Amino acid sequence: MTRSAWREEPADRFALTPDRALAYVAPEGAFALYNDFAARDSVLATGLAPVPPAEVVAAWRDQGGERRPHRLVPPDTVEGYGTFTFPYGPISMGVPESGRFDVVTYGERVLELTPIGGYKARRTLPSLAGRPLADAALRIERLAGNVAAAHVAAFLAAAESAQGTGVPTRELWTRALAQELQRIYNHVHVLGRIAEAASQNVGSAETHALAEQILRLQGHVFGHRWLFGALLPGGPPRRLDLDGRRALAAALAPRSKEFEELWELFLDSRTFVDRIQGTCPVARELAVRWGAVGPTLRACGVPWDDRLRVPVVPYTDLFLALPHERDGDALARVLVRVQEVRSSFLLLEQLLDRWPADGGAPEEAAPPVAPGRGLGRVEAPSGDLVYDVRARDGRIEAVAARTPSDANWPLFSFGMRDAVFTDFHFAFESFGLVFAETDR
Amino acid sequence: MPSWIGQAAHRGILTSRYPRAPATEAEVPMTARAPGPPAAGPLPAAAISVCPVGAIGERAVDQGRCIRCARCLAHGLQPVGPVELTVARAEALVAPPGARDPPAPAPPLASLGRSIHVFLVDVGSCNACNLEVLGIANPLYDAARLGIFFTNSPRHADVLLVVGVPTEEMVEPLRRAYEAMPAPKSVIAIGACPISGGAFRGNPGLRPSLDGLVPVDRFVPGCPPAPIQILDALLTVSGRNRREG
Repeated sequence: MTRSAWREEPADRFALTPDRALAYVAPEGAFALYNDFAARDSVLATGLAPVPPAEVVAAWRDQGGERRPHRLVPPDTVEGYGTFTFPYGPISMGVPESGRFDVVTYGERVLELTPIGGYKARRTLPSLAGRPLADAALRIERLAGNVAAAHVAAFLAAAESAQGTGVPTRELWTRALAQELQRIYNHVHVLGRIAEAASQNVGSAETHALAEQILRLQGHVFGHRWLFGALLPGGPPRRLDLDGRRALAAALAPRSKEFEELWELFLDSRTFVDRIQGTCPVARELAVRWGAVGPTLRACGVPWDDRLRVPVVPYTDLFLALPHERDGDALARVLVRVQEVRSSFLLLEQLLDRWPADGGAPEEAAPPVAPGRGLGRVEAPSGDLVYDVRARDGRIEAVAARTPSDANWPLFSFGMRDAVFTDFHFAFESFGLVFAETDR
Repeated sequence: MPSWIGQAAHRGILTSRYPRAPATEAEVPMTARAPGPPAAGPLPAAAISVCPVGAIGERAVDQGRCIRCARCLAHGLQPVGPVELTVARAEALVAPPGARDPPAPAPPLASLGRSIHVFLVDVGSCNACNLEVLGIANPLYDAARLGIFFTNSPRHADVLLVVGVPTEEMVEPLRRAYEAMPAPKSVIAIGACPISGGAFRGNPGLRPSLDGLVPVDRFVPGCPPAPIQILDALLTVSGRNRREG
């Protein structure tokens, strides 16, 4: 069996330093704008990422396009006796979204796994040009429904920065509250899916029940189960009112206790822990080199979180734990998510407890990176989410985004090497990847 | 030491009593109700102009287009009840307030009794509908108690649940999945996207609806619809919904 060498090549010029670890998210950096291939090439050239041969990158770029199915990681060549490519998808119930995985194998072992996206590209971002901000936000929240709050928050932050609009303090607190609620939902959902894959039937039922309770709670306090319409600019149609805050405060404590008990039972289950320990490991070097984000990065021992490192109101005023693990495997990612659920419950408690009074001077938006162009960054449930918005006079000119799924697809692909087919679901779910975020 | 059994027994039964009892307030979120005028008559012009997807006409609201953004609620419309959870014909989605769903056609899967196998096809969704569909299996709805099961292959499926706005890339996979199903079979369109294109209506490279791709037996409006609406549609196509007789 032969394999092209560029991915294995050890290179001390990639040594981990804080500057380098974070350089990929610099405003003009490449990975910040997934579709901006010229910019991506410039970062590949700086040596922060491994450098595939130029023709490989060129081939990858050529088949990219916006709509046609395309690879989400650069192609590799694995050859050898008896190997063949097994396509999984685009329709499968194992992964409820549409997307394909090309698995190179000679039987049971996965030699190479290439995710193929583009089947469900709805061309949302190009369609935003010329729309008023509120109409664009309506479509942004339907880009990836399960992480709508994070997407709208990042988009609005970028648009506000582009136009220099101030935001009422309360609005920022509402955004944080919605995001933390949705983070709990997403993490709990991921745990439920992993428990399901491990045939922990009682545990997964309990976990999915808890996730449904969170959805109902969101529906009750914000008027929409997925928080659509909760964070729109200029007086959102679904507001968080005093009754909603009281209902939330009353409902959170029992949910938090439920989650703790549930997790204790999971840790007691040796079969469950055994199944995910060592599954789909991501090496710290690879994670840093390829710009992993979120729980995937923190599970490799890199404690980076936008809420602490790019602090905005209200996170500047709140106590926030920053969990991280060392091993980089599915168990580590699960542990990071569990601790983040706890930390989000704690954040919600603080937010509700210290809810700001109405009025007061609005908070200033971040300075624009160029006239009429702003960046917005938030920590979405699966990691750092960047929006780049050009706007003028309340209308959108262009929008680009780098979502956590964009950043983490390559790591999933690398982690799956030398795994077996049955590892797939534990691995896939532990990254929290969403095709809808990539196929925009 | 706590145990799974002890914890579950302590909590009691979480599962919905639907369809033996009507759906509760918690199970039918406000977004399951289509906005409509409080009284008969032409709809307010302000509401028509504020709708981002053109769902509000002079006489009626197109439930299939409505993405439940709630903007019109500030301009004289309000969520109307009783909740018509799902409809059999696309025309019924634009019926003026007060009109009844036309008499339902014979349920296509009545001969299958109490065992329905379901396959989900995402032709371009935002993932919210997908998760609401998976949600019918969680203990609060527990579709298995009604004989509804997910299957991993369209060859074993009786019902195709279609979510998302059809992209050109998914037209062929959708057609193949439908053709692979054994008869009798049924298709349910879940959410505004497969019914009318939803929030993505008009984007290049997208089909405006499932029209002409696969025959649809049941429309479930909403953005996204609630799990209880999806259960209602599944029970209806299998002829086990009391409301439909």
